[in-house]
Amino acid sequence: MDKILNSEKSGSFPRFGRRRGKYELETSSFRLENVKAKEHDDDKVTGSNDILLEHGLKHDQKLEQVDQFIESLAAARDKSMSPEIPDQMEVFLKMVNSRIATYEMREASAKFGQNKVEDSLFFEALTHLSKIVKYLGEFTLDSATTGCFNRTKSILQRAMSLLETEFQALLDNSKRSCNVDSKTPKSPKQSVFDSNQHKTETEFLNFPPESIAIVKQAATAMIFAGYEAECCIAYTAVRLNALDAEFNKQGYKNFNMEDFQRMEWASQEGEIDNWTRIVKYCTKNLFPIERKLSNLIFEHSSTAQRMFCDLATSLTIKLLSFPNALLLFKQYSMEKLFKFLDIYETLCDLISGIGNDLSAKDLIHETSVTRRRIGEAAVSMFCELEDSIKNDNGRIPVANGAVHPLTRYTMNYLKYACEYKDTLEKVFRQHNETEGSTKQQPKNATDNNGESTSNTSHFATQLMLVMDLLDANIDTKSNLYRDPSLRYIFLMNNGRYMLQKVKSSNDIYEVAGDDWLRKKSSDLMQYHKNYQRETWGKVLQCMSHEGLQVNGKVSKSTLKERFKSFNAMFEEIRKTQSAWIVSDEQLKSELRVSISAVVIPAYRSFLARFGSHLNKGKQQEKYIKYQPEDIEVVIDELFEGTAASIGRRRLMHLSQ
Amino acid sequence: MTGTDNQSSFLGRISIRRNQVNAMDGSHEQEIEDLDVFQKQVSDRFADLLSAPDDSPADAFLSISWIRKLLDVFLSCEAESKGMLLMGCDAAQISKSPLDRLIPEILDRVVKALDICNAVANGLELVRHCQRLAEIAVLALEQKPFGEGPARRAKKALVSLMLAMHLDDKESSVQKTTERSWSFGRRGGNKDRPPFGHYKSLSWQVAKNWSAAKQIHAMTMNVVPPRGPEASGLPSLVFIMNLIMVFVMWVLITAIPCQERNGLTTHLPIPKNVNWTQSLAGLHDKIGDEWKKKEKKGMAGLLFELQKMEKLGQSLIEFTDSFQYPGEKDKAEEAAKQVAELAEVCRRMEEGLVPLQMLTREVFHRLVKSRNEILDLLDQTAKSSSPVV
Repeated sequence: MDKILNSEKSGSFPRFGRRRGKYELETSSFRLENVKAKEHDDDKVTGSNDILLEHGLKHDQKLEQVDQFIESLAAARDKSMSPEIPDQMEVFLKMVNSRIATYEMREASAKFGQNKVEDSLFFEALTHLSKIVKYLGEFTLDSATTGCFNRTKSILQRAMSLLETEFQALLDNSKRSCNVDSKTPKSPKQSVFDSNQHKTETEFLNFPPESIAIVKQAATAMIFAGYEAECCIAYTAVRLNALDAEFNKQGYKNFNMEDFQRMEWASQEGEIDNWTRIVKYCTKNLFPIERKLSNLIFEHSSTAQRMFCDLATSLTIKLLSFPNALLLFKQYSMEKLFKFLDIYETLCDLISGIGNDLSAKDLIHETSVTRRRIGEAAVSMFCELEDSIKNDNGRIPVANGAVHPLTRYTMNYLKYACEYKDTLEKVFRQHNETEGSTKQQPKNATDNNGESTSNTSHFATQLMLVMDLLDANIDTKSNLYRDPSLRYIFLMNNGRYMLQKVKSSNDIYEVAGDDWLRKKSSDLMQYHKNYQRETWGKVLQCMSHEGLQVNGKVSKSTLKERFKSFNAMFEEIRKTQSAWIVSDEQLKSELRVSISAVVIPAYRSFLARFGSHLNKGKQQEKYIKYQPEDIEVVIDELFEGTAASIGRRRLMHLSQ
Repeated sequence: MTGTDNQSSFLGRISIRRNQVNAMDGSHEQEIEDLDVFQKQVSDRFADLLSAPDDSPADAFLSISWIRKLLDVFLSCEAESKGMLLMGCDAAQISKSPLDRLIPEILDRVVKALDICNAVANGLELVRHCQRLAEIAVLALEQKPFGEGPARRAKKALVSLMLAMHLDDKESSVQKTTERSWSFGRRGGNKDRPPFGHYKSLSWQVAKNWSAAKQIHAMTMNVVPPRGPEASGLPSLVFIMNLIMVFVMWVLITAIPCQERNGLTTHLPIPKNVNWTQSLAGLHDKIGDEWKKKEKKGMAGLLFELQKMEKLGQSLIEFTDSFQYPGEKDKAEEAAKQVAELAEVCRRMEEGLVPLQMLTREVFHRLVKSRNEILDLLDQTAKSSSPVV
């Protein structure tokens, strides 16, 4: 109130100006402000004794008498005797009463602010009334004093009723006025208020700062007069209604559990997005706004805090009914995981948005319960992935050793999941903490890392469990190939796919870690070696220099046999392995390079050393089918997938 | 011999016996015996509720503390019956008539009950709002000397209280009733004043067109006592579960302000001539009669404290309305008594409402949990009975 009183000195007051000098007015407000001011001017008392202006409290001298009366009441030791009521009391009460009547006649939400000096004098008078009621109440009153006391209380009640009405109207109207610009009537004088320091603070709410100032003034006066309950009820009611309207504007619908249960997942998904958006809006905008508003209006931070917590509780309980309904489904499929994680994150934000205030304890608890349930649902969904891997027992191998759809699906799913890795980490930590050591505990991970599981990431453990399961499953699937070479190609393809996925995403790489990467790479190298041995080992044996010479002479028949079997083997390899698929270009070229590096020099030297032993012309034509360059060409055509499988390959590229 | 103490031991006994008796032969007889024990428990607990005094401020019939006891009883019965169901149910039974119909039905019914829990939570918010208004009235009425100022203050709070109490009726009719019964002391320029502290608590959390009456009606459908060979064993157990759930939800709706209670049924499928349902039927008759009496008048709810508040409120509005300082001594003494009673009601609410709200949430969460457990059971049986490929 002090601020407002001080700021008034700069205002202009035409109505007062007509009767009284501006200077006098300023002193009057000064004196009113200072209850202890002792100056007394008898001339003025007699001069204005019975003049009651319709507008404005001009009886500063009388007020001064009232001030002194209040002081004497406060100072009195003996409260068993009725105090003497000063003559001016009656005048003062009449004055206030007539002011109330004037205010009452004005339009709602425009009762104050037309003349700030009047307003502040009025509020000051109310402070006086409240004090008189408070102090007089402590005395034993005789019948005369009781009359005055009751009258004071009646007037105070009437004033409070007025304030409460205006308090509600302003809080409500200002909310609406953000759509209909400046619906609040403005007098020209209000422009003075625009320089008020509250302006920047209140702009975010679209409340005109002058309304906030009045609302605060009203609240302070009501609380001071012992009407805190009324003030708080009114505040909560108005804000709840405003928030309800805001929720509707944001597209929030109340729905029944039952209706929601009948909804298809697709529409539920839409509802989840909608809900997440609204809750985020709540945490980011509405909560801070409401917190700020209550702090602006209520002087005592404890009241402000309580008001905010009450609102937040109502709002949150309303918002929680949605995830609670969602939890009824129980048919958790893997695809729903990400939506549930969205909800989980949103709830985390909501909890931190409420803040850790004591009065919000139950609310936080309630929200945490829902969050935990959503987290549990998310865990079950993620575990569905494990089950789906375990249950993938198809007996038909993927043609040509290509990447298995399970690998593709699982890795893409994990990659996506890793975008949520922080949330998943929270979810799994919470799950492991509540479950303790149940069957969910990933065994092999614990075995590998010894006792250090408590320090490692819960989600990483879970992720590695899934990858291990996938490895095991792919390994089993590889046994479906009769040709060991193809088996290794299959293992390489799938392993390579996993490796590339992990490398391509930072999120998943961080979770999987370097150890996994090294292990996988060395596995792949081993498969590569095994493939070389299986496919090309025998081919190289044909080109061995040993066993060709008998008694220092090259045996032609053996040589012919060697060439024949080389040609046959190579032809067979060309036919089968060009149909095989290695979709990873780098892996393909690595394979070709390593094959070329082993086969071509061997063939070249074999040819150089023994080719001349065959007769030129017919014999050479018959047995030497490939020149080293031909070998290279053939090797470069391996793993492309033959014509038959090209169509399939294209499809697979699309699905990647 | 009622209460939650022997609940755990009860279930424990059953589970021990279950482990002893091999599932095949003795189990059916065992089931029947368990059911008898359970019915006895139910009967005892409801008898205890029925014996509550009609008008003692502490634990009167339909008072907040009584409702809390009711919900405690519900939670105990729910835990036991669900335990028995989960232990007694196997794949063979669950996929066969009548359980293949009864189980999905009860799951559905639980969802309906959840909506009621939400509506009741809302209603309790409203009761709390009423309490705050009544507290203002008490504060004003207790002032000494009592003058016209406090009288007007009290009246204003009381009129708002009456308005708030009848929020569940259609908005328009509220306006009418209040205008008829309590004219506002008209002070200049106050015509445009909105009802004090008016807020839409009831639609806060429930869908607009939702109706408590229809919900209960839907819940009672297909709740019929099993006949013939089904009359014992699991179908009977499921029936008891259904009946208790419907009954408790029905009581909550009658007691606590709820959206759309017009045409609330007073008929519940409680079987007559059965021992264990006697106390339940007694409660049902008593509450049903009360409801029929009060329904026509339009009231906030049968909750003891609310009824008391309504009666005292009306009487005190009359007192404040006609009050002129210094007032008549008799009237003042009478009013002082009523104020003391109202203060007591407020105190009971202050004490009991928050725990009751929490208990309602607990019921909600419990129902969700149990429903999930039953769903799990269905899942398992579906898995185990599906042919292995």
